[in-house]
Amino acid sequence: MQNRLLFHQSSVSLEIIGLPDFSNDENKDQISIISQWKLTIIDKPLIEGKIEHLLPIMEAFYIYANHLVQKKLPLYESKLIDIKADNLHLHNILLKSSKPDVEPLNIKIGNALLADTINCFDQLNESSKVRLKNSYDFKNIPRKITSLLDNKVQLSNLFLPPLIAICSLTLFSSTFIYFYSPVEYKEKNELINKK
Amino acid sequence: MRKSYIKNNIKIDEFDALIKVTVEMSRFLYPYIRKLLQSKDDHENNSVIWNDFENRFIELINERFNINSMKVKKLLNQTENDEILINYLLTLSLCISNQGYKKLKNFLLNF
Repeated sequence: MQNRLLFHQSSVSLEIIGLPDFSNDENKDQISIISQWKLTIIDKPLIEGKIEHLLPIMEAFYIYANHLVQKKLPLYESKLIDIKADNLHLHNILLKSSKPDVEPLNIKIGNALLADTINCFDQLNESSKVRLKNSYDFKNIPRKITSLLDNKVQLSNLFLPPLIAICSLTLFSSTFIYFYSPVEYKEKNELINKK
Repeated sequence: MRKSYIKNNIKIDEFDALIKVTVEMSRFLYPYIRKLLQSKDDHENNSVIWNDFENRFIELINERFNINSMKVKKLLNQTENDEILINYLLTLSLCISNQGYKKLKNFLLNF
């Protein structure tokens, strides 16, 4: 008998079906081996699949939402799912099937449904009854660090201006030293004093 | 940005506390935030809630913020503030989970 868990947020519900891992002495209610999942969005086609599809889809939604909030280009593309923004409040999701003859599924959702979906995924991530393998560490990495890693140009931007400043200062001071002759200066001073 | 002649630097504990309060408030107000986002998603048929919110928001900004600041002027401009308001509401709606405090802190530190 398989366990079923339902995570619900307004117009979206996520159903997880699976079994506990008895080899790890888990409770009967626990789900560690996910056999199937279903994401139901009201007025939209049902999205379902296996565990290997759930994790990339969750990752796609999280990365896309982070980009959206940080006002970066809201676009995510992968073999399984593409998400891009049509405008400020319409998100275009393209789910590609791994089977060759199945047409990709196109779903358009607004900001409210996007927030509901991500909150369902959050509930799943935080649930003590479901153990997700390869859970997402990227959520805990401060984005400042990831953006630094993503964009190495920023590091050069940080060090280049002071380096240029030091070089130009050295260059200018060395030319002044070249033109300045202390003997001439002494002679001039002596002439002024004699007058 | 606020109408105040005193500049107080916020302490880290106060910053954390404010984030916790904001997350709790957004969790409590999620149905309303969702309705606002939905109203903006379908603005042609369902514009009343969004317009009411926007008018009240502008009223409060005029009342409490320094309207000579350029940032505040941007918030008051009805043609420009849509994107900012949607972004604020979406950020709040994504931070209602138990770990929402960490998420909102991350978002704010990268703002």
